[in-house]
Amino acid sequence: MSNVTRTWKLNGKSVTVRAPAGRRLLDVLRDDLGLTGSKESCGEGECGACTVLVDDEPMVSCLIPVGQLPNGTEILTIEGIARKAAGRVIQQAYIECGAVQCGFCIPGMVVSSYALLQRNPKPSTRAIRDALAGNLCRCTGYAKIIQAVKLAATRLAKRTR
Amino acid sequence: MKNIEKIAFQFPTTLAAALRLQANEKTRGKLLAGGTDLMVQWASGVPTPERVTSLWNLPEISAIRVLADHVEIGAGVTHAFLVDCQPLRTHVPALVAAAGTVGAKQIQARGTLGGNVANASPAGDTAPALLVTDGTVVLASQAGEREVSLSQFWTGYRQIAARPDEIIVAFRLPKRGKARERFRKIGTRRAQAISKVMAASRIRVEKGVIVSAAIALGSVAPTPVRLTQVEQFLAGKKLTPALIAEAEKLAQTTVQPIADIRSTAEYRRWASGRLVRDALEHL
Ligand SMILES: Cc1cc2nc3c(=O)[nH]c(=O)nc-3n(C[C@H](O)[C@H](O)[C@H](O)COP(=O)(O)OP(=O)(O)OC[C@H]3O[C@@H](n4cnc5c(N)ncnc54)[C@H](O)[C@@H]3O)c2cc1C
Repeated sequence: MSNVTRTWKLNGKSVTVRAPAGRRLLDVLRDDLGLTGSKESCGEGECGACTVLVDDEPMVSCLIPVGQLPNGTEILTIEGIARKAAGRVIQQAYIECGAVQCGFCIPGMVVSSYALLQRNPKPSTRAIRDALAGNLCRCTGYAKIIQAVKLAATRLAKRTR
Repeated sequence: MKNIEKIAFQFPTTLAAALRLQANEKTRGKLLAGGTDLMVQWASGVPTPERVTSLWNLPEISAIRVLADHVEIGAGVTHAFLVDCQPLRTHVPALVAAAGTVGAKQIQARGTLGGNVANASPAGDTAPALLVTDGTVVLASQAGEREVSLSQFWTGYRQIAARPDEIIVAFRLPKRGKARERFRKIGTRRAQAISKVMAASRIRVEKGVIVSAAIALGSVAPTPVRLTQVEQFLAGKKLTPALIAEAEKLAQTTVQPIADIRSTAEYRRWASGRLVRDALEHL
């Protein structure tokens, strides 16, 4: 075993963690830091429920050993995104479109939606499907989720004009 | 404590330091890049190693260089980085297309080209696209660097021609020049699905005649394979519908796929021919 100490910018704040290098980022977030918004579903990278942004890129936190994230890494979880104006617009759009049923996949969906809209403020349906392809939902059938991302994109475009 | 938490991790910050660790059996670790293959295996009960040598973010293996007649892609380059690299779309478009079909965005952000190649799955998406370039794998150890042709790199099911002290550092891939490339993956759904069959091709046609043809398939044999017989059959011939039909048949008779959880042998054989047809119809 090897313990590592890492200082990251987590949801905008400096956070220092000490953990076995092989501990999964997901376990550090949920169990050590109490950030339970990121969900564990499959535990093997397929479902996207544990998606977080690492230096602006969506990654599944169940496949990242924390030792691989050096000091200074910027991590944004659903808790951090929910505090951002754009994050709230996306959440509201999900609610209004009825895109949420059991809700377990939604934190990951919102993180992937946020990552997409940061990069591509006017995504095509194809681009939305691509961006969310790594997030599985067993309830909704995706149609309303895609509508929600479109609605959020429209609202965000109005705000920045 | 989970098994992965018991692993001793080493985080070399230079390639030289990583090679030093790998040179000595007492410090050698299982190489770990983006972990999208290994972390899954360890989570599903595959025994964990005592030591790991992390290659994630190692600068010397994380760059893309565009040179006069070839491109050099670092083994640590992620699929996401590769997909975003405009010059690669011009010079090795099939590889860019292949990288874009690995898993989904979250997997592409972590999975590396070196990891996909070293994992040596016959279903590795980038393998056929690499094979049709006639490129090489650059291996490094403390003894120095050597190059191995990609066509000789996968030596058997999940076997590669690298020594335990070696690290894949890069791939040297001749540019396509005037040839056309195509990549097609057939899977159960478009994302997050391992292929049933896939094909990459690099074919050059001049004045209606096939000057050179490189066609590779994945998921039809223990390793990714080039369709040498089909390639030889095509070379020098006029591209006609009749020729395409013959090439399709030849492909179907030369492959020896197996049946497994993802598909049947019959379907794979049929689809292999259709993919060859598809490549020839898009020239
Ligand atoms: C949900 C999910 C979906 C996936 N979908 C696909 C898919 O559609 N298509 C596909 O092809 N793959 C897929 N994969 C597999 C995986 O993402 C790819 O194979 C990826 O490219 C592996 O790269 P990595 O850096 O994560 O490898 P790692 O897991 O870090 O390593 C894989 C292997 O390569 C070795 N290795 C890594 N780097 C080097 C190096 N530089 N030199 C020598 N050896 C090295 C390691 O020791 C290990 O044996 C998927 C994985 C997941 C979790």
